[in-house]
Amino acid sequence: MRALIRDAAFMLAAVLVLGTASNVLRARHLAWWGVGHEPPAAGKDYQLVDPGSADSLRTSLPRVVFLDTRSAAEFTAGHVPGAEPISYTDLERQLTAVRLARLRAADAVVVYGASEETDVEQLLSQELRRRGVPPPYVLVGGFQAWVGAGLPLDEGGGR
Amino acid sequence: MSVLRARWLHWALGLALGGVFLYAAWGKILDPRPLVTIIWGYRILPAGPINLMAIYMPWLELVVGVCLATGFGRRGAALWAVALLLIFEVALGVNALRGVDVACGCFSANAEETHNAWLLVLRDLPMLGAAMVLLIFPPRRRAKPEAKEGRR
Repeated sequence: MRALIRDAAFMLAAVLVLGTASNVLRARHLAWWGVGHEPPAAGKDYQLVDPGSADSLRTSLPRVVFLDTRSAAEFTAGHVPGAEPISYTDLERQLTAVRLARLRAADAVVVYGASEETDVEQLLSQELRRRGVPPPYVLVGGFQAWVGAGLPLDEGGGR
Repeated sequence: MSVLRARWLHWALGLALGGVFLYAAWGKILDPRPLVTIIWGYRILPAGPINLMAIYMPWLELVVGVCLATGFGRRGAALWAVALLLIFEVALGVNALRGVDVACGCFSANAEETHNAWLLVLRDLPMLGAAMVLLIFPPRRRAKPEAKEGRR
């Protein structure tokens, strides 16, 4: 019994060390106490938009920014015209002051992923809103729905 | 009952259960933030400790998985595995009774992956059984007198 308790305690100590170290060293670390963190909420942190409406925004407003959360390879293969790649797990580095200022001044920001909208798009929208960006739109069905709707694409290029 | 103390069985269960825990831990360790949303989605914990759980639980799964698979402190790891699986079962069971399909956060941190909570409860039962075998029936060569206390 003593060995059992010793082993379990040793594991708990290892978990405390590893978890603490990983959260301290991680660029996108979590607050230790969850006060202030709420799950993203539709209406408050983001709004859902269908591909057709998103394209209408793009063509009717001068400063609409599309943010593509997919992998670099997927982005390179094809994306919404004018879209910018962004990685949710590396936001601190990517959201420079200049870029944030541009996003805050945008008429609309549309976030999209590969297919069905996931928590990544919602969390990214929440992070943007907390940084002063108006609640972004999350594209329902993601890039797959955009392609399925026959909307324009930029293929095989960068930004 | 002697088969429950067979070393080959403990290695098989340890490798299988350890593999499951390692697989479950990996994605959440890489980015625990979506896990916050998932834990919130269970609607059981208040906001305060949710982040702590998202920070440490994946590492607990990793350490438990490594120890179960390698045999290092396997009974201690089994104790943690039983505790974790019981917590999961209670959390899933509560939501099953509420009639809520939850994103379990079991093997991914995708909040969109919702499942029937009763199915998740059933899915965890074999793992809980395996962990309890590892905990309650130590292999014969390592058997200790106090281990008999846990036998029923």
